[in-house]
Order: sequence, then structure tokens, then C-alpha cells
Amino acid sequence: MKKIIICEHIEKSFGEGNEKRNVLDGVSVEINEGEFVSIMGPSGSGKSTLMYAVSGMDSIDSGKVSFEGKNLSTLREKELADIRRTEMGFVFQQPTMLKNLNILDNIILPSIRDNRKSATKITEKARVLMEKVGIGELEKRDITQVSGGQLQRAGICRALISNPKIIFGDEPTGALNSKSAQEIMDIISEINTEGTAVMLVTHDAKIAARTERILFMCDGKIVSEMRFKKYNGSDIDDRMKKVTAKMRELGI
Amino acid sequence: MYYKIIRNDISKSKLITLTTTIFIAAAAMLVTLSAILVVNLSGAIDSLMKQAKTPHFLQMHSGDIDTVRLKDFAEKNSHVDEFQVLEFLNIDSAKIVIDRNSLADNVQDNGFSTQSEKFDYLLDLDGNIINVSDGEIYVPVGYFKDGTAKVGDKVVIDEKKFTVAGFLRDSQMNSLLASSKRFLVSENDYAEIKDYGSTEYLIEFRLKDLSEIGTFEAAYTSAGLEVNGPTITYPLFKMLNAISDGLMIAVILLVSVLVVAIAFMCIRFTLLAKIEDDYREIGVMKAIGLRVSDIKKLYLAKYTVIAAVGSTLGFALSFLFRGMLLENIRLYMGESENSSIAIIFGIIGMLLVFLAIIAYVSKVLKRFRKISAAEAIRFGALQEKSAGAKRFCLSRNRLLHTNIFLGVKDVLARKGLYATMLAVLVISTFIIIVPQNLSNTISSKSFITYMGIGNSDIRIDIQQTDHISKKAAEIIRTLEHDSTISKHTLLTTKSFKAKTENGSEERIKIELGDHSIFPVEYSKGRAPVKEDEIALSAINADELGKKVGDGMTLVIDGKENKLTVSGIYSDISNGGKTAKAVFPDHSADIMWCVIYAKLSDKSLAADKTSEYANKFNFAKISGIDEYITQTFGSTISSVDKASTAAIIIALIITILITILFMKLLIAKDRYPIAVMKAFGFTNSDIMAQYMSRAVFVLIIGIILGTFLANTLGEVLAGAVISSFGASSFHFAVNPLTAYLLSPLMMISSVLIATIIGTSGAGKIKISEHIKE
Repeated sequence: MKKIIICEHIEKSFGEGNEKRNVLDGVSVEINEGEFVSIMGPSGSGKSTLMYAVSGMDSIDSGKVSFEGKNLSTLREKELADIRRTEMGFVFQQPTMLKNLNILDNIILPSIRDNRKSATKITEKARVLMEKVGIGELEKRDITQVSGGQLQRAGICRALISNPKIIFGDEPTGALNSKSAQEIMDIISEINTEGTAVMLVTHDAKIAARTERILFMCDGKIVSEMRFKKYNGSDIDDRMKKVTAKMRELGI
Repeated sequence: MYYKIIRNDISKSKLITLTTTIFIAAAAMLVTLSAILVVNLSGAIDSLMKQAKTPHFLQMHSGDIDTVRLKDFAEKNSHVDEFQVLEFLNIDSAKIVIDRNSLADNVQDNGFSTQSEKFDYLLDLDGNIINVSDGEIYVPVGYFKDGTAKVGDKVVIDEKKFTVAGFLRDSQMNSLLASSKRFLVSENDYAEIKDYGSTEYLIEFRLKDLSEIGTFEAAYTSAGLEVNGPTITYPLFKMLNAISDGLMIAVILLVSVLVVAIAFMCIRFTLLAKIEDDYREIGVMKAIGLRVSDIKKLYLAKYTVIAAVGSTLGFALSFLFRGMLLENIRLYMGESENSSIAIIFGIIGMLLVFLAIIAYVSKVLKRFRKISAAEAIRFGALQEKSAGAKRFCLSRNRLLHTNIFLGVKDVLARKGLYATMLAVLVISTFIIIVPQNLSNTISSKSFITYMGIGNSDIRIDIQQTDHISKKAAEIIRTLEHDSTISKHTLLTTKSFKAKTENGSEERIKIELGDHSIFPVEYSKGRAPVKEDEIALSAINADELGKKVGDGMTLVIDGKENKLTVSGIYSDISNGGKTAKAVFPDHSADIMWCVIYAKLSDKSLAADKTSEYANKFNFAKISGIDEYITQTFGSTISSVDKASTAAIIIALIITILITILFMKLLIAKDRYPIAVMKAFGFTNSDIMAQYMSRAVFVLIIGIILGTFLANTLGEVLAGAVISSFGASSFHFAVNPLTAYLLSPLMMISSVLIATIIGTSGAGKIKISEHIKE
């Protein structure tokens, strides 16, 4: 299986002098094409920081992050932005949308920057995606006129608009009720089955249990790892039991 | 508590606080200065005219004079307090040589006088009545200012030698706009040079009551006394003295209004941004029961401090500059009597600025009333409405680059915020274009047509000499045989009696000849073409109460003739009271002649002027450019200076405000910038979006500013120009500078300022603003 991300001994700290705190303490991890990975851990364990480092949104102090063979630390700001725009997709806990644009415009924004000429095609694709996640009728709405669950679906459409190789999700269901969260996870799982790798940061054992590989983090280190088969919708209770048992074992 | 809040607030926004303070200081300084200048100028004019005992009524007259009859009139007229006839010896400027340079190129009517006995004194620079000794000469102060003469210089008139003993202030003829200048010599010397020139008489009256001047003027006219020359009254002397410094004050006042407006814009912008930031807190304060007035006080406190500091600073600064600006007034008119009152007016000006700022802040803070506590706490931000921008969709955009689209969209979506920047840019454009157009208009050759002077290349004046018509005919003959002259005309001025509405008679000077060859600008109607038509200068039309189409009765050769007013034009020559007609007349005496000529090749003007000057030494020959330079020279150069200064000031304001605005915007937009970066927009994309915003606002600003400059600006400039006597006014626009260079300067300034102002956007870290 081809590896799309390889992290070697990455370190990152915040603060200075006595206040200095290692948030990532020599983390190494690899992610394969089409893989569905989740990161669990208590608050402040470094899971979000790891995701930001892996996606090139945040710099690291030492170590190396490679995306498809390119060392992210050596790339210029422009090249990093190009990769984020064309090969990665992001879904955050809060819907990070621009207030001035309607739902449809927010979705097509990353893709249309490079392909203004094929705007019709991009818009068509966005409509198909919106239909698929069940918000087809909302394209002209302002972002203040729809619910949190609907916004998060729009966020997923935006992450998918450029056909990325990987989607990063930072607690994408964290702000939603359990019904909405289930629906969002169904969509993300479906995307993954279609071949896009997914890396999720989550607190929720039920969410993590639907992924193939779970990385447990504590104090800036990956302390344990757990693997499952691809989720097919049948054995969720069994998977959840295993995850919670592991969490108890690790004291998370 | 206030102290703490203010200190925190100021230390958090040093740049904007500093800028606002600077603008308030500048506004306070300018307002204070104009108040001080106005008081000083009017005081100085009053004391000059009081010390010099300026005549209330002056009739200039050349030709024979019957002093006995005049004296008799003065004694019998109950309004007259004092009366005198002064001699004014007109000498051809070419014959006056100061320090080996002749005044040949000077267009002023230079002449000589002795000190008068009763009133209309010529004063030295200390304001004392000059007592001049034989061999000494006092020179008009204007020639000191422009460096023509200095104390100790030798002055030669024909063969008689003088030494410059000092300079004089002439309450009548100080101003460059008064076309005559008096040199002062002793009685003995005057007798010696009397034959070098022609004598003109200044028939002067001082009245017991200045308000009776109208009645007196009518009485003088109906008495049929000497009238061969311009008539000037006290109010006109006063205006002539006030014009040049008055213009400067008007400009300063105008600029100060604009600076106050910019200070307001700064305040509005920061306050709106602050209210938006503090939206939730304001909601909470309202929710826990604080009164709107209590909350307002928290915000008002900071601006009270800023306004107080700014105004005081501005007042202090005004002391630095007042000396410089008062210099001209002091030189021409001397110290003002009421300089202590001036300071009081200065303080009042400063207080006005202070109060205006407080009132404005208070007005902006009225928005607090509209904030709903519940909404503020629930949403934490103003629910912005952007109806106009809604249909402007990225998905439908095929035309603009995405970054440009996003920039334009943001401006449309947050109009209120950008309105502030727009206002500043409109003002800047206005400040750049209006003085530029004004300067271009005044220096354009056609401008003199507003002043009652035809647009030609050479102007030949024949006056204060005998056999005027014969001499004029001689020149005309020469012109007709000169192949370089493409066209010419002879205009002869004569004095006629006109019947007024109430049956009395009034003298009016009429310029006869063909007025279609070198037409002047008519504010209403057109030039006279038929023999029964007459055009009146604006002041004459006003005084006679005539409109275009009205009838008018002239007494020509003892017979009454009916004429129709065909047009009204502006005029500054001869006290502004002139008329133009085409009827032939051989009855009245010729007062003077003017010949205008146009050359087939304009570049010959200088050669031709000197050729004719040598040939016809009885006439005054001036190239029209020279005529303009000397008449309006100082006005043109000061407007030019003002226009350059205005451009610099406007560009500085533009740069400063744009930087400030962009910095604030970046601070406000940290979150959306982080979002865009997260989704793969580069720093240069962000920069391009902010530039698009700035340029979009700027383009609207330039269009609006240019439009306002050409409408409102033209009206304002017209009001200034009309003080010269011109009634209709249109800008002569130089499209290259006004529509290309100026916008280019604005665009480059805004782009540079945007690059500086948005440099902080690159430092915004995605993770700091998005990470949960």
C-alpha cells in the first residue's frame, strides 16, 4: 500500500523558558492511501497539533513530515498552500465559513481560485455533492440561515470539491447532536470507501470505533495503536467495547 | 476606573489613537490660525486705513480740472468732512530705473506723489506719516516684497537721481490688484520731474458719515463735476486690501474643515470597529441594567482625553506658524490693534473643534440604543445585512479573478465600514483636483476673458496723453501693414451720462468698438452687435438694476438715445464699472484707447512687444502673458503653491488613512484570513484581495471626488473668483493632470499603503485562529 504521509520524529513546543511545553514529543506515524485513521487522547495531549503539523498548517520544531514524497518543512508558503488547496480537504469542529459568501460560494471557493474558466463544471460538481449530503436546496442560503449540521455537511462538500487525496477532520462532529453526528460520520465513511484517506481527531469512542486505525496520544506521544477492519455497519458495539477498554487501560 | 479603561484602550490601539490625535491637532491648529488671521487682518486693515485716513470717495481724473468749482461743491455739500485734490504724476515705467533695472516690463501704472496735507497719507513701515527730504524717494512696499528695490538703491527718473530712503504703505494702492502705484518724493523734487510725465488728479473726499456714501456719489455725479477716470469708494479700498490674505485664510479654513471631516472619519471607523468587538460586552452591560448613558460615558471618556490633548497641541502649534502667516499682513498693513483679541478668538476656535469632536463621538455612540441585549449575548455580533451584494455570486462570476471578486464582494457586503475610507478618498481627490483646476484656470489665457479683457497676444494702452485718437489711428495703420498681425481691434472708452430709473443722471464709461473680435466671457447674454445695444459689467448692471433685455437711456450729444442691454460680463478693470457698445460717436472726449492684436505666430509676441514699444513710446505695450503674470502673478503663484501643498497633504492623508484602515481591517479579519489560508489561499492571494478592496473603493472615490470637484468645487472656486469681480466661472480642466496623473498618484499611494498596511496578514497563523 502506498504511503501518502510519513512523519518522522516530529517535535513541537509552545512557550519559552520555564513555560516551555513539548506538545509533540518525537512523534512518528505513517498514513496509507485510502486509510481511515483516528487520533484519540485527552485534552492537551497534542492530537490537534499533530493534525495541524501533518497537514502543513503549522510549522514543526524538528523532525520531518513528507506528503507524497515532498518534505513539507522545506516547501515555500505558496507551495504549501497549493498542496492544501488541491490535495487535502479539511473539516473543522466549528463551521469555518466566510460570512460574506453563500453556501454554494463557500463550497466552491478553494477550487475556483485556480479554475475560474471551468466554474460551470465546479458549480455542477458542488451541486452533486450537496445533493449527496442532503443539502441540495440550500445553495443560495447565507451561512447564518442554516443549522450547524447543515453547515458541517457544507464543510464536507467544500473539503471534497478538489478531489483531495486525504481529508483531515478536527472533531468534525464535536458540535453536533448525536443524530447529526451519526449522519456526518456516514457521509465521511462513504467518502472513505470511495478511496479518499481520512484522518480524524476525536474525543468520541463511537466515532473512533468506525475507523480502521486508532492512534492513542498522551503528553505529545503516540502511546498505543489499535487496528480494525473496514467498518461495514454491523459490528459497531463490539468495536466500541474494545476502544473503551483500551481507553480505560491507558487512563484516557 | 476611567483612567484605567482609557489607559488600556490607548495602549491597545496606539497607532489609531496617535493618528486621530494628530488630525484633531491639525484641525485645531488650522481653525485657531484662521481665527487669529481673520482678526489680525481686519484689525490691520482698519488701523492702516485709520492711520492713513483713506479717502471715502476717490475720483481719478485726467485732463483739465476746475478746482474752484470742486471746492465750492465740497463746501456746499453737507456730507463732506474734508476735501483735497492730489496730483499723481504718471511716468512711463520704462523711464523709471531702480538700481540700473528699468520698470519697463512692469504693467502697473507707476507714478509720483508728494505727501498729502489733510488725509490719504503715505505711511512708512512703522505706520508713521512719512516726511520726505529732497533727493529721497519712498518706494511702494510691493517692490520691497518682490525684491525690486532695497534701501539705499539709486532710482533714476529720466535724468533726476534719487536714493531709496524707505518703503511706503499706501492704503489705496497697496494691493497688486490696484493697477496704480505711488512713489513718494519731496515737493521740490516733484516740481523738477513734473514735465517727465502727465498729471492725473486724485479728487478725494472724506465724509462725516461713511454710510452716506451712496447719496454723496449720486450728488457728485449729478453736479457734473470732473469724472474722466475711475471712481473708487472706501469699501472697495477695503476689499482690495483684504483680497490676497483673505484668499489665504479662506483656503486655510477650507482645509481645516476637511481635516475635521477626516478626524471624524477616523473616529467613526475606530468606534464602529470597537463597538463591533465589544458587542457582547455592551449587550451584557445593558442586560445587567446599566443605562445607555453610563455605557456611553466609558467610550466618551477616551475621546474627551484625545480631543483635549489634540486641541491643546493644535493651539500650541498655531503659535509656531502664525508668525509666518502674519508676515505678509504685517508687511503690507502693519500690526493689528486687536492682537490680544485674536488670541481669544483663537481659543474659541480651538474650543469649537473640541466640542465638535465630543458632539460627533456622542452621535456615533447613539447606536448603543439599537443594540438588543438578548441578540448581542446570543449571537455576539451584529447581524450584518448585505442585501445589495447577495446577487453577486462567485458561482456566477466568470469575469473577475477570484481574488478580485472576493475583494469587491467584501466591499459590497460591508458598505458601512468602507464608507469611511471612501469618504476620506473622496475628500483627498477633491483636495487634489480643485486647487489644480483652479490654478489651471487662472493661468490659462482665456481666464482674462472673465476679467473683462479680450483674449489677444498684445495689448496696447493709450491714455493720459493728448491727441489720443490720432495716435491710435497711427498705431492701427502700422498694424494693418504688419503681416505678422492676424487681427486687431481698437476700443475707445468715453464717458456718457445714463438716465437712471428715478430720472437722475449717472456717468458711465463705455468702451466703443467691435467687441466680437476679442470677445470677453458673458455671464448672461452676448456682446453688443447692433448700434442700439449695450453690454454692462456685472457691477454696473447691479447698480443700475438692469437685466439682459432691459432698456436703457443714454444722453449722447445732448440727445436721449434708447439702448437695449444685450449682455452682462465680469470686469475687474477700472473699478469694475464699465460698459461696451458699438455705436459711433464723435461728441464725447476720449478717455483712453486700448488696442488688442493677435499674432499669426504667437512666439513673436516678445519681439513684437518691444518693437512696438520702441516705435510708439507714448503707448503702454504689453504682451498678454506678461500682463497676466503681473496682474495675477502673485495670485497664480500662491494658488500654484497651495495646489502643490494640497496634493502633498492629500497624498499623505490617503497613505496614512489607508495604512491605518488596512491594519484595522486585518486585525478585524484575522479569522476569515486564517480560514482562507487553511483552505489553500496564499499570502499573495490575501494581499491581492485587500488590494482589490482598496482599489475598488478608490475608483469609486476618484469618480465621486472628481465629480464633486467639478460641480461643488467649481461653485466654491467660483465664489472665491467672484470676489475679484468675475460673475460666471467655469473650470478650465487639464485632462492629463486631472484625469490621468492625479488618479495615478492616488492609485500608487493607495497600493503602497495597502502593501504596508496588510503586511501583517502574512503573520497570521492558521492554527491560532481555527484550532479548537
